[in-house]
Amino acid sequence: MLELKGIHKYYNPGTVNEMCLFQDFNLTIDKGEFVSVVGSNGSGKTSMLNIICGSIPVEGGQILINGSDITKQKEYKRNQRIGRVYQNPAMGTCPTMTILENMSLADNKGKVFGLSRGTNKARIDYYREQLSQLGLGLEDKMDVKVGALSGGQRQAMALLMSTMTPIEFLILDEHTAALDPKTAELIMKLTDKIVKEKNLTTIMVTHNLRYAIEYGNRLVMMHQGNTILDKKGEEKDRMSVDDILTLFNEISIECGN
Amino acid sequence: MSFITSILEQGLIYGILALGIYITYKILDFPDLTVDGSFPLGAAITAALLTRGMNPYITLVLSFLAGAVAGICTGLIHVKCKVRDLLSGIIMMTALWTINLYIAGTANVPLFSQKTIFNNDLMEKIIPDVLAPYATLIIVLVLALICKVLLDLYLNTKSGFLLRAVGDNDVLVVSLAKDKGNIKILGLAISNGLVALAGCIFAQEERVFEISMGTGAMVIGLASVIIGTSIFRKMTLLHTTTAVLIGSVIYKACVAVALRNFDPQAMKLVTAVLFLVVLIISMDRKKKVNTNA
Amino acid sequence: MKKKMVTVLLTAAMVTAMAAGCGSSSDSGSDKKESYTIGIEQFAEHGSLDNCREGFLKGLEAEGIKEGDNLTVKYKNAAADMGTAKQISDSLVSDKVDLVCAIATPSAQSVYNAAMKADIPVIYTAVTDPVAAELADKDGKPVGEVTGTSDKLPVEEQLKMIREMLPDAKKIGIMYTTSEANSVSAIKEYKSLVKKYDFELVEKGITTTADVSLAADDLLSKVDCITNLTDNTVVASLPTILDKANEKKIPVFGSEIEQVKIGCLAAEGIDYIALGKQTGKMAAKVLKGEAKASEQNFETITEPGFYVNSKVAEDLGITVPEDLANSAVESFGDGN
Repeated sequence: MLELKGIHKYYNPGTVNEMCLFQDFNLTIDKGEFVSVVGSNGSGKTSMLNIICGSIPVEGGQILINGSDITKQKEYKRNQRIGRVYQNPAMGTCPTMTILENMSLADNKGKVFGLSRGTNKARIDYYREQLSQLGLGLEDKMDVKVGALSGGQRQAMALLMSTMTPIEFLILDEHTAALDPKTAELIMKLTDKIVKEKNLTTIMVTHNLRYAIEYGNRLVMMHQGNTILDKKGEEKDRMSVDDILTLFNEISIECGN
Repeated sequence: MSFITSILEQGLIYGILALGIYITYKILDFPDLTVDGSFPLGAAITAALLTRGMNPYITLVLSFLAGAVAGICTGLIHVKCKVRDLLSGIIMMTALWTINLYIAGTANVPLFSQKTIFNNDLMEKIIPDVLAPYATLIIVLVLALICKVLLDLYLNTKSGFLLRAVGDNDVLVVSLAKDKGNIKILGLAISNGLVALAGCIFAQEERVFEISMGTGAMVIGLASVIIGTSIFRKMTLLHTTTAVLIGSVIYKACVAVALRNFDPQAMKLVTAVLFLVVLIISMDRKKKVNTNA
Repeated sequence: MKKKMVTVLLTAAMVTAMAAGCGSSSDSGSDKKESYTIGIEQFAEHGSLDNCREGFLKGLEAEGIKEGDNLTVKYKNAAADMGTAKQISDSLVSDKVDLVCAIATPSAQSVYNAAMKADIPVIYTAVTDPVAAELADKDGKPVGEVTGTSDKLPVEEQLKMIREMLPDAKKIGIMYTTSEANSVSAIKEYKSLVKKYDFELVEKGITTTADVSLAADDLLSKVDCITNLTDNTVVASLPTILDKANEKKIPVFGSEIEQVKIGCLAAEGIDYIALGKQTGKMAAKVLKGEAKASEQNFETITEPGFYVNSKVAEDLGITVPEDLANSAVESFGDGN
């Protein structure tokens, strides 16, 4: 279970550009939930993910995982139980290293990076099998540098790599936004499959309303640092793309756009 | 012939330095100016130890360690005090100037009467007379190859993977639940260790420690790395270290050609033109590869 | 394919260029001969060192060995880089020159290290302390086929001269670069001698040219006069120091003729051309086979010359004692 309690977040505190994003923001995500988060630009979606992962500090409030406070924990320590896929496919892989080396790196997460051989020969078949389920032919390119792959191929690898070792939370930060529709579809299906297989608690930020409706079992809509819509289970199933669009328009009118 | 031997000797000694710079510049993407201080640091340690009767082979290890400590300091300044990379190196380089003077005692320590790795009873026994003119080259070659092979092996360990990843994409390293700062510090330690080792070998070959010997070491190493990696661009990582060593030899060859055939005043200009020629040739090659792809 | 050809051709050209250099002088080596080939390795571009080289060739010429007639000179400059110095040394040795003249300490050590095995004599100059540089043993005897001249400053004479010119001065300031071994050893000598002439020494160590200005301000606020060493960094920035000193009417003494020319009050110092000449004569003996390098102890300048800049003296309101003025080898600034 992940809890955000009374989060306060300011940007540029103490300057004329001071901007308050979250004021007493609360959100609780239960184990096994797959939350889709939508909202306009600047509504605080990505900031929320960054706060959960520890990429940015908060000015007030608590972040709890299963009841224990991780607010002060460093980003890299939190990542022991969090996997994250970024919007930019380049963020999840190392371009100058080969596919095999990238897979080996990911496979060793949570273990000691010592002076033993970087790639474990016994695991190569496992990597192949994992890659082959992507259906992109990457399993035959184990010695190709990742920098030579397309964005979609890299993002597929990033997704595989971030979920390779046992994690509790999967954070998806608009991870299909930079891909063409066909590849995006493929990555989304793959995401759903992995989440279900591994029973991961997932938070997915997306601008694709159809994905938000089709996937996951909870839908959250954010606006100006608040959740203005939060539907779970059957309630969520009844939602349609049009419903969200209507809501979007209402917000826009309020803002004067 | 002895002229060519000299180029190879010099090239390989500076090649070890270039291997160190390869780690920071190419792998870590960290412009590390500590080098100008850690190169003479190795020499200073060597001079201080040899004049006190230390076994010359042990100085190799101790110089490496001293360089590693210097690298760790640069890393700590950068990571813990959040000083910019370039400035952290400048701070350490400046500090090392004084430290080197303290270690060596004076600005110039001759080592003519000391036993060195090139000149001791053991070496005289091992190396047959026929090979005597090449003794220095053989020893330097062996040392350079040992450094290269160990570095290759290290870069293929799990720890080495992480080092390569941090320069490539530090976000991924954080995702892997590792502190990228510590890995950078480790990389700087290995890099400056190699640089100090090169300083140690250079001091023993040249039989003198001179405080100013590090001035421009960074530039020489950087040029070697760039020349080497540009010419052998298509090779896989395993061979990049070899390319760096060869790059260093080419650098020294350029200097040698400029020295031999031109006016002393024109030396630097000719060297610069030779580098440019080498780089242009390798760049054209790259273009060709791209159009073929 | 074309590019590859270019690469191959260039590599070939480079190798030929090197080989050409190698082959040109391989025929030398017999002992009695009419013409000589020598190498000169100078550590850096520097006025005093250039004067040494000029003097060296003059010294040889005085002994009948003249460049162009019976002497071929291979002159190389290391541009203050140790690695380049090493390459030059190796290159001169592989050319099997008859003798190498090394100018400045790092070059002398580098050349000796390379020439030792090849049995090529080395004559050095502008090495302040050949004993500390391990080019000579404690008694001043050469450690091998290596000898030359030292440009050690006549510290005692300088102090004596300053005392005569400034009877009331108490504190004497010296600025020096901590990295220059020559300066450090000169400072040591000053330290041991200042008491004898009733001075107190104020030393100021710097590391680069950039430090000179600040260090000069600080030093000038503490001393009655300044004296210079042959410190490369300080000498290069001498105009800065002189400007500041003139403002405060603090006299600056030099250590060699060139410094007095540009505005130091006076110097009991070295004339590097004369030093070079002395070195050239030593080299001539070796070349002609009259004496081996190992048979000649290193020499220092026999008689330091007194140089004075009378215009500066006038500006500062200092009268040069008559006997001193009469002994001046050269006097600048008074129209002649």
